[in-house]
Amino acid sequence: MPYSALILDDDADFNSLLTDIFEQADYIVTSMTNPLEAVDVFSETIYDIVVTDHKMPEMTGSEFMKKVKEMRPEVPVIMVSGYLENDTIRELIRDGVGGVFLKPLNIFSLLERTAELIEEAKKLETAPAGDAGGTALEKEVDAKLGFSFRAFPCKTNASTDFAERLHSLRNFRSTLSLIGEKGMHYRAICEDISRFSEGSSERFIYLSPGSFDEKQTASLIEEAKKKSAERVTCVLLEIESMSEGQKMLAVALAKGDGVFTEVEIPLRVIFCVSGDLDALFDEGLINENLYILMGTAEVRVPPLRECALDISVMAQQLVVEMAREKGLAVVPRFEKSARELFRKQQWKGNYAELRESVRKIMDAASGEVLAYPLVKAALQVNEGVSQRARLESFLSSQQTDIVRAAAIIFGGERGRVARFFGTDVSEISAKLQ
Amino acid sequence: MQEHRALILRSNRFIGSALVDRGLISTDDLESANEKFMEAIQASELKRASILSTLLFETKALDEQALLEHLVEEEMLGLVDLNHIDLRSLRPFNVDLSLCWATSTIPFDKAEETYMVATCYKLSAPVIKYWEEHLGGRVIWFGTSTSSMTRALERIEEIHDAEDEAAAEDEK
Repeated sequence: MPYSALILDDDADFNSLLTDIFEQADYIVTSMTNPLEAVDVFSETIYDIVVTDHKMPEMTGSEFMKKVKEMRPEVPVIMVSGYLENDTIRELIRDGVGGVFLKPLNIFSLLERTAELIEEAKKLETAPAGDAGGTALEKEVDAKLGFSFRAFPCKTNASTDFAERLHSLRNFRSTLSLIGEKGMHYRAICEDISRFSEGSSERFIYLSPGSFDEKQTASLIEEAKKKSAERVTCVLLEIESMSEGQKMLAVALAKGDGVFTEVEIPLRVIFCVSGDLDALFDEGLINENLYILMGTAEVRVPPLRECALDISVMAQQLVVEMAREKGLAVVPRFEKSARELFRKQQWKGNYAELRESVRKIMDAASGEVLAYPLVKAALQVNEGVSQRARLESFLSSQQTDIVRAAAIIFGGERGRVARFFGTDVSEISAKLQ
Repeated sequence: MQEHRALILRSNRFIGSALVDRGLISTDDLESANEKFMEAIQASELKRASILSTLLFETKALDEQALLEHLVEEEMLGLVDLNHIDLRSLRPFNVDLSLCWATSTIPFDKAEETYMVATCYKLSAPVIKYWEEHLGGRVIWFGTSTSSMTRALERIEEIHDAEDEAAAEDEK
C-alpha cells in the first residue's frame, strides 16, 4: 500500500517540485502552502510522513513540527530549507526532527531517509513485548549485528548505526572518543568495546576524575601487565570534569609520553565526553591538545530520544538487573501501555534518568506486572509540584554547570565567583573539581 | 594569525574527521597528521598548521586528485583554477588575508551581493560557516587545489604590498 505524505512549503514552485518527487516515488501526497491550514488537515488525516519547509510567514517549520508532534508524536517529520543555522538544526534534532535537508536537494537521500523513517515508525507500532529475561533479546541483537552488543538493544537506526560504527573502529590504534549528552552509559558502551576483542589478552582500565592520577594509572597498567595483558585500553570517563593536570596527563597517556614512555605494551585511550565538544573547547574545559586528539576517531553516542524503540527494552533490562539485586524470584514486566510511556518522554538526562525512573518504579512495585499507573506516576513525578520547587530542583541539578559558567564569566577567579554566590572559595573549588 | 587560532584548530579538526568519514584517509593517517599539526600549532607556526597540507605533502596519505574528484562527484562542487583568475585586492571585501591563509579560502569575485569563494576546506563545516557569516551575503563555493590556492594567496599578498607602497608614496 502506498504511503501518505503531507508536504508543506509556502514556495509554490518548490512545493510542486517536492510533490512531484514524492508522487513519482509512489506516495499519496497532500500538498499545502499555508501552515495553519496544514495543522487543520493534519489533525483530521492519518499521514505516514510530514515534509515541511522551515521559513514560512505564519509559522516556522519548527513550530509546525511541534504541533504535529503534539498530535501524533510517532509521525516522522523531515525539514527542508534553503539555509539553517547550526543552532536551529540542533534545536530541531532535539525536538525530534527525523531529517534536515538543505537546498539544493539530494533527492535520493531525501527519499531514502523518508523510507527509513517510515519503516522505523512502523516497527514502533508493531514492536513486541520486551523479553523479561533478556537472553532472547541479546541473541536477537547479536544475530542482527553479527557481533555482541549490550549497551543498546539496537531496535532503531540510530543505535544500530552507533553499534556498527563502534565495531568498525574496534581496532583503533591509540585514541577513540565517545561524545554524547549527559547521563549516557559510557561505561557499559566501553564494556561492549572490550567484548569486541574478547579472547585477546587486552585489559580495560576505567578512570574517572576521582581516580585518575599518574601513580594510580601506572599501578593499574602494571597490574594488567602482571596479568599477562598484551595491550591496555584506558577509559577516561567525564574528561570534561577533570582538572587541568589530569587533562595534561590524559594527553601524555594517549601519546605515551612522560611516565608512560616506560610502559612496554601498547596503550590505547577512550575519551568519554558529555556535552558539545566545540562548546567545551570554547569554554576552556577541553584544551587544544585534547580537542585535536579527540578528532582522530570520534563517535557520537545517540541520546535516548533518538532511540525511541530501544527505551522500553532498556528499561526492562534495568528491571532484570534490579530484580536480581533485590533477589526477586520473578522478574516483573512492563505492560504494553506502560512501555508506550517510555517512548513519549524526552529523557534529557538520558540513561541516568532512565535508571533513576526504573528504580522508582521498582521501589514502588509490588507484583509481577509493572502497570501503566505505576509507571506514569514515576515518570511524571514532578507533576503538581509548585513552580518554585521545580525551579529549585532544576537549579540544584545544574549547580556544577552554573558554577562553571560563572567561573568562565569571571575569568577563572574563584574568589570573585565565591563572592558572587555568597559562599567561600573552598566550596567553589570543590564544585569546579 | 594568532587571533584565528581557534578557527584553525576547529577547521582542521573537522577536515580530518570529514576525510576519514568519506574514506579518503584512514584513522592512522589522521593520527600521524594530527601529531604534526599540533607540533606546528605549539610552535605557533600557524601558516604551516594545516592537516590537509600535511596529508598531501608530508605524510602523502591523501591524493589531491582523489579529493578533488570527490568534491565534484559527491559534494557537487565546481572547481576553479585561481591561476586563471584576475585576482584583485581583498581590502574592498573587508577580508583579512591572514584569515585566508588560515582557512585556505579566498573570496575572489563578487557580483552584486553574491561572493565567489574558492577553498581547499569545503569539507570543513566551521570554515564554510565562518565565511558565510563573515561575508554576510550569498556565497557560491568553488573547490581548488592547494597549489592554486597558495599561489593565489601569494599574488594577493603582492597586490596588497603594492597598494601599501603606493599609499606610502602618496603620503610623501
